[in-house]
Amino acid sequence: MRASEEQLRMLMTAGLAGDAGAHRNLLSLIAPVLRGFFTRRLGELRDDAEDLVQETLIAVHTRRATYDPRRPFTAWMYAIARYKLIDHFRRHRRHANIEDLSAMLVREGFEDEAGARLDIGRLLRGLPAKQARAIADTRIDGLSIAEASGLRSMSESDVKVSVHRGIKALAARVRGK
Amino acid sequence: MHADLLIDRLAQDVPPVRPGGPSRLMLAALAGGALATTVAMGLIAGFRPDLAAAMGSPMLWIKLGYALALCVIATAAALRLARPEARTPAPWLIAAALPPVLLLAGIAAGEMMRSPVSHWPAMWLGGSWRECPWRILFFSLPVMAALMLAMRRLAPTRLALAGAAAGLASGAAATFVYSLHCAEPSALFVLSWYSLGIAAATGLGALLGPRLLRW
Repeated sequence: MRASEEQLRMLMTAGLAGDAGAHRNLLSLIAPVLRGFFTRRLGELRDDAEDLVQETLIAVHTRRATYDPRRPFTAWMYAIARYKLIDHFRRHRRHANIEDLSAMLVREGFEDEAGARLDIGRLLRGLPAKQARAIADTRIDGLSIAEASGLRSMSESDVKVSVHRGIKALAARVRGK
Repeated sequence: MHADLLIDRLAQDVPPVRPGGPSRLMLAALAGGALATTVAMGLIAGFRPDLAAAMGSPMLWIKLGYALALCVIATAAALRLARPEARTPAPWLIAAALPPVLLLAGIAAGEMMRSPVSHWPAMWLGGSWRECPWRILFFSLPVMAALMLAMRRLAPTRLALAGAAAGLASGAAATFVYSLHCAEPSALFVLSWYSLGIAAATGLGALLGPRLLRW
């Protein structure tokens, strides 16, 4: 069973007051949540999930002073997890596939702030048409590179480069740059 | 290492945390940096000799007010951006910094309307337009360094924007101090060259943010 926001916030607040037991409980409860979060988003890199879980636990511990008890705990925790995930993708110079990116952009269920949801179509519209088409063809419609290059009368390497550049641009936008 | 082992280790070190710590840290950094800038300014450029007399004229207060308003706005933004869940978008920072700029632009426009057109170039360029932005950028460095060091211990996730907010705060703080040196008498000058220096500090902060603030 998943810990509720209220329960986690109470443990966090107690931990901030110096209650080591509450703090340990908190870390134990969020570890599996984080494992799920990273495993779902890492795709073929899911072997790195455990490293990211631990990095995030350390960050939750060492940067706990930045949690404001008047705000939701889970939003704070997922913000750290998301930052660690994006930093991980960037450090390893690999790219999230488009499903992972869209999943990262969709807020977690309890962060239901209006207008926070971005859909992949809107994101793609911000890219040059060629890149958006190449991504839509290969990553959403599931065409192979060869099929997409036939469909659009582009060379295969052109399709590959377009997908690569487009996803790079999207990733940059996810990081808010 | 297994996660449980890690949790055991982490849970051995759980000192109580006073609420409001991040804000205090940032404000202490701002104050410390501003003090260093004041000392540096006193040693390098010196305060204007007619400072006491200048306190009776509105221009000094316009400069100080402009710098202070921008510094307060930027510091508030930097405090928000030092928390991981900050959603402050870049346009918000620009929009927040706009009112003091517009107000100063209004004052400059009034000043220009009261002066003959032939005076405008002198009002605009003053005697120090070449040095002024560079000096503000230079004197912003101690504050920027202090704010970046403080932010590194917090948890910003939008690093360029957090750096820009720190840069804007440091540029504005440097401007506040520099106002005690610079005797340029026109609002048009302040609007142009002070703002250019502050913008340069903001840009430098935005560039340094992603490099210095990673965690």
